[in-house]
Amino acid sequence: MVDVRLQHISAEFNHPVRGTIVAVRDVDLDVHSGELLTLLGPSGCGKTTVLRIIAGFQVPSTGTVFIDNQDVTNVPANKRDIGFVFQNYALFPHLTVQENVAYGLRVRRQSAAEIARNVEKVLHLVDLAGFGPRLPNELSGGQQQRVALARAIVIQPRVLLLDEPLSNLDAKLRVQMRGEIRALQRVLGITTVYVTHDQEEAMAISDRIAVMDQGRIVQCDTAEELYRRPISSFVAGFLGRTNLLDAVFVERDGDRLVLDIEGQRLSIKASTALEPGNAVKAMVRPEAIGIGPAGGGLTATVVTVTYLGDKVEYVVRVASQSLHIVRFNPPESERFAPGSAVTINLPSDGVQLLPRD
Amino acid sequence: MSSLSIRVADPLRTAVLALIWLLLALFVVYPLVMLGLRAATENGTFDLAPAIAALRHANTVRAFLNSLMLATLVGLLGTALGFLFAFTVVRAQIGRTMERLLDTATLLPLISPPFTTSIAFVFSFGPRGFITYNVLGMTNAQVYGLRSTLIAEALTYFPLAYLALRPMLVAIGGNLEEMAFSLGSSRWRAFRTVTLKLTMPGLANSFLLLFAASLADFATPLILAGNDLPVLPTEAYLQITGMFDLKGGSVLSLLLLVPALCVFLLQRWMVARRSYVTLGGKGARALTGDTVTPGLRWVLVIGCMLVVLLIFYLYGLLAYASAVRAFGANGTLTLDNYRVVFTEGLPAIRDTLIIAGIGMPLGGLYGVLVGSLVGRVRGGQALELVSMINYALPGTVVGIGYLIAFNTPPFLLTGTATIIIACYVFRYSPAGIRTTIALLAQIDRSIEEASTSLGAGTATTFRRVLLPLVLPAFFAGLSIVFIRSMTAISATIFLVSIHWTLITVRILENMTELSLGPAAAFSMFVIVVVMLVTKGLDLLLRVLSGSSARLMTVEHE
Repeated sequence: MVDVRLQHISAEFNHPVRGTIVAVRDVDLDVHSGELLTLLGPSGCGKTTVLRIIAGFQVPSTGTVFIDNQDVTNVPANKRDIGFVFQNYALFPHLTVQENVAYGLRVRRQSAAEIARNVEKVLHLVDLAGFGPRLPNELSGGQQQRVALARAIVIQPRVLLLDEPLSNLDAKLRVQMRGEIRALQRVLGITTVYVTHDQEEAMAISDRIAVMDQGRIVQCDTAEELYRRPISSFVAGFLGRTNLLDAVFVERDGDRLVLDIEGQRLSIKASTALEPGNAVKAMVRPEAIGIGPAGGGLTATVVTVTYLGDKVEYVVRVASQSLHIVRFNPPESERFAPGSAVTINLPSDGVQLLPRD
Repeated sequence: MSSLSIRVADPLRTAVLALIWLLLALFVVYPLVMLGLRAATENGTFDLAPAIAALRHANTVRAFLNSLMLATLVGLLGTALGFLFAFTVVRAQIGRTMERLLDTATLLPLISPPFTTSIAFVFSFGPRGFITYNVLGMTNAQVYGLRSTLIAEALTYFPLAYLALRPMLVAIGGNLEEMAFSLGSSRWRAFRTVTLKLTMPGLANSFLLLFAASLADFATPLILAGNDLPVLPTEAYLQITGMFDLKGGSVLSLLLLVPALCVFLLQRWMVARRSYVTLGGKGARALTGDTVTPGLRWVLVIGCMLVVLLIFYLYGLLAYASAVRAFGANGTLTLDNYRVVFTEGLPAIRDTLIIAGIGMPLGGLYGVLVGSLVGRVRGGQALELVSMINYALPGTVVGIGYLIAFNTPPFLLTGTATIIIACYVFRYSPAGIRTTIALLAQIDRSIEEASTSLGAGTATTFRRVLLPLVLPAFFAGLSIVFIRSMTAISATIFLVSIHWTLITVRILENMTELSLGPAAAFSMFVIVVVMLVTKGLDLLLRVLSGSSARLMTVEHE
């Protein structure tokens, strides 16, 4: 079942100086019932605009927005039954925690007794029981965050929308809060769209992630699929660290492909529609690469070694190209000094071919 | 991104906006157009000849030049006094008591009728004046003329310069000057090249502010200028009320419009340019070192104290004059003057309080509505500009415009309270509008969106979220419309009638009939009422907002 559906959504703005700006280009997106979908991308990629269009704060230039199979493109935000959590929380500074949370219930004309009961229940849920009479400026950042969350979910919205809700918190609290948000979302089963530019946060919290770049959704899948099989170097680079080696496709060898990397041959397991002689990028994650003494495999030279306790990071040079390698808990014997010649082993099923762009 | 966002259309907002534009068209644009038409047409046809004839009149040219000269002098003297006060308070480390004294002295002229100083001047320096007659023994003192008008206006308006310059000097801070000092400048050089240079836009701005105030001042010259110093506002008034020459008055008032408009545009241009001054940020606030030498400190303090003493002396004289049988001749204490105020003067008091009482909430609400629309609708800038027109125009222009526009059907309002209330609301609410804009600029747009996302409509969001947050602006609007309704005269002197009159008009009548005692008593009454009401509003605001929000009682840039 689909709860939120975007069809051919575009958004253009008129900027007084820069003219027409296209913030969102022809976005199609389905958010399934009960799932947490994250819009991930660098700043300015249009992810917040998409969220605001779902909320109804902005009208798309073209396209249609459906919530529960109902066309809401021209329905104002206050009639869409959404819960929104803002980056800066947007708590009403003149209202207490209780009054902030009760705001949406009052608008919905619930009885005083109902409101009191619901507010207490939700404050308990976000671990803020007893904080009702306080004003927002008497709370810490994390507490304000919880109030914002409580205020959004207490109205039992059809969709919960979160716009970089954790970016104003410190690193430790961020990790804790994202766990709590995820747990709460699972318990309540609210269909949720979450915006962030932090790939780790996105991977930790999401059922699916839609990666956005320059107004477009470039790939939408589970975190693991995105990590293992990115469709472009942008996606590969945005989720986790990665190496992109310039290579040339030489020939097919059974179910294997043979690549040429500046004169050295590499054989990998992959399928491709490439023609021999095509330039490609071979993507491989730093932690997937093995390193050993010279002899066999790709020949490389160690440039730097960084000891980090639980892992050792190498930068090596293969012909003219640099490669990052991360070795987790390597045996003490495995230690190569800068300048030494080594062999690196790329796992035959851990290399992904991407178009050179 | 939010400044670029496309807004969802909203019927209520659209309806309110349309209503406000309609009111602005009727009460701001229409009177101006009618005023221009009256000056430029004769019996329904376009004819500039009579207007040009009126302009060529020797007296007109003289009045124009006098107005410009007086305004320039007031601008210079007032800005100098304002800078002296501001610099002393910010830099001379005078202590809290002294600072409060200066603040009180500068507040008095701001909440009094604009001609209070003038009346006190007559008591002090007139033919029977305390100083001229009692102290110096002169029998034929000449108080009327340029000197008195200049000093009275400078004393009346310099607090505006003080209020504009003080935050600026605070923002510049002493660190920059100390930096220059540490680099080897002399103190004077450091002051000249750093502080004065950075304050320059502020000084220019406050000069323009005072120039405009003096240009538009009607009451002071009417009382103090005498026959040898005709200025445009008084000439326009005499032309209309003395000679029943509405056309001549219109032409004169339009002539007044030329420099007023220049000043207004210059000011807007400068405000847009001066942002660099506040770049210093918050760190500059903690000023610890001595930035003035002890000697200079004494000079500054003595300079300020002389002005403060003069102000207190003048108001004291006013209080005394209101409580004696005949000032200068019979010093017996009596309540007769106040008896006059509360018997013969009662209709004027009642009318004024009714008008102020109705205008106050209307003006407060109007200010908050317009202020919250300006940043949120298409054409907001135009809305702001048009809503500022009546505030920027000299009162004489507005008054004559209203007189012409609302004297004939379809908008026959002459003689009603409505015309006076409308005049005050549209002329004095811009303070509330500006405060609202400034407050809302500090409130993130997402606060409103949060309310919308929770299901609230425009009306609910305005009532439950925006209104409480802009409460200080609403109260500023209330207090300023009230103060002005109690004290203003330049526009409304053209709008009073036998049905509705005002205290300020009664004071002026008393002055021209030489009933100085009742004039003084009326002035004291106004000052006390304004003080009580602003105090009450201040308390109410504190209770309602539950915080230390302070009531704003003065409009300034």
